[in-house]
Amino acid sequence: MTQSTMERPKVVSREEWLAARKALLEKEKQLTRQNDALAAERRNLPHVKVEKEYVFDTPKGKKTLADLFEGRSQLILYHFMFGPEWNEGCPSCSILGDHIDGNVQHLANRDVTLLAVSRAPIAKIEEFKKRLGWRFKWASSFGNDFNRDFHVSFTKQEVAQKEMYYNFKRQFFPSEEGPGLSVFYKNENGEVFHTYSTYGRGGESMMGVYSYLDIAPKGRNEEGLPHPMMWVRHHDRYEQDYYADGANEADNTDQVVKAAGAWCCGGAAD
Amino acid sequence: MTQSAGKSRKVASREEWLEARKDLLVKEKQLTRQSDALAIERRHLPWVKVDKQYVFDTPKGKKTLSDLFDGRSQLIVYHFMFGPEWKEGCHGCSMISDHIGGSTQHLANRDVTLLAVSRAPLSKIDEFKKRMDWRFRWVSSFGSDFNRDYHVSFSEEDLAKGDVEYNFTKQTSWRRDEAPGASVFYKNEKGEVFHTYSTYGRGNEQFMGVYRYLDLVPKGRDEDGLPNPSAWVKHHDRYEQDYYADAKAEQQTKVAGGR
Repeated sequence: MTQSTMERPKVVSREEWLAARKALLEKEKQLTRQNDALAAERRNLPHVKVEKEYVFDTPKGKKTLADLFEGRSQLILYHFMFGPEWNEGCPSCSILGDHIDGNVQHLANRDVTLLAVSRAPIAKIEEFKKRLGWRFKWASSFGNDFNRDFHVSFTKQEVAQKEMYYNFKRQFFPSEEGPGLSVFYKNENGEVFHTYSTYGRGGESMMGVYSYLDIAPKGRNEEGLPHPMMWVRHHDRYEQDYYADGANEADNTDQVVKAAGAWCCGGAAD
Repeated sequence: MTQSAGKSRKVASREEWLEARKDLLVKEKQLTRQSDALAIERRHLPWVKVDKQYVFDTPKGKKTLSDLFDGRSQLIVYHFMFGPEWKEGCHGCSMISDHIGGSTQHLANRDVTLLAVSRAPLSKIDEFKKRMDWRFRWVSSFGSDFNRDYHVSFSEEDLAKGDVEYNFTKQTSWRRDEAPGASVFYKNEKGEVFHTYSTYGRGNEQFMGVYRYLDLVPKGRDEDGLPNPSAWVKHHDRYEQDYYADAKAEQQTKVAGGR
């Protein structure tokens, strides 16, 4: 994205600003309406019946895809990049993960169960989840076809040959795991349908961070970086350990930043 | 928005679905690009110098607007609806705030300080924040002109006259003394503070992942039959289904919703 007026800010009167702001507001409103229209189109997509039986490892034992709905009719799975051999989950997926807990309770009361799925064994998932202080449910698809069928895990050979099927086309994604969201519906007969999946930048709007950066003067400020999300760290790995109420407010500048191993788009872990 | 809850859906083959999904993807990508373009336009807005001195009550005593930057150059203030006489903060604002904790740490490392401001006295804010288990900073503008100047608080006279300026428009039917929004400020090397941006109304939706997720599911937001769109929203500790209580029993993990 092109950079801002940061270098030469134009300072104006309140009236002048207001005129410019109102003009922009019209475009923002238009975008909101377009977003509503697209959501309606999304709901009109056909459904595909899920015939295969997928079994996941959860803290409560083996569960089928149908079980994961937990009594609701709609299920959203976040495909969290965390491969079986990785030591930790992907940092960029972890930003999205940082926002999941705030949603779960509200969505549960709107007939939506939201949880994460990764290929890492459940023990690794549990350990990492504890480290990051998250409460959302997170199941393991270790050993089943789920990640592969929904195009978020790739073979070592595909990575070596730099070609795989991701985000609805053949392309190179530099990791054995890719991020995404898949949506399922369960009817009264207990039949499960796949209704929607999104990949790549499709998950961006679930990260409040980007919505906030998009209203700040410096914007995302990612242009000089080797890849856009290069700045992202796990929330316990930043130099500035900044939490709101100042529990850790003193100087944390001397805190050592541990290198994050698994970049979403910058290469596989380890 | 047109609702589709309960409408029977066409069941298709994987190939048929894929074709429809790819068509939609083109439009989704287009919308993402438009959103990028708007973000650029936003950064090209002129700035207005803030000449008035605003002082806020914080858990660490009185702080000026300039102090709130906390050493960073960019400040985003969420105008949380919580009037001086209210017993608790607004439901919708609380849903936004359930998302704030996940953002503050990342934003702080991108030169952005994000916090909430309300007109309620600080003691009420602190009490409610504790109940909701939030950790983000939240200061009180009690007794200052801040909320009024940024068009998120209205006097009884304004409301009685139907003379309310909100979301850059004169509103004749606004009834509450508080309104939601977000305002952005910049501080330069000389310590001068500028107002760069404010958004109100549905402009706040972008900060709520909840709506982004609901926009992906078959039933959508499902708000058509309700007295007002967000009538379903409750404080997260007031829902019938205390979904997290189960999780707590299961895992005994520490509450992270307040991050």
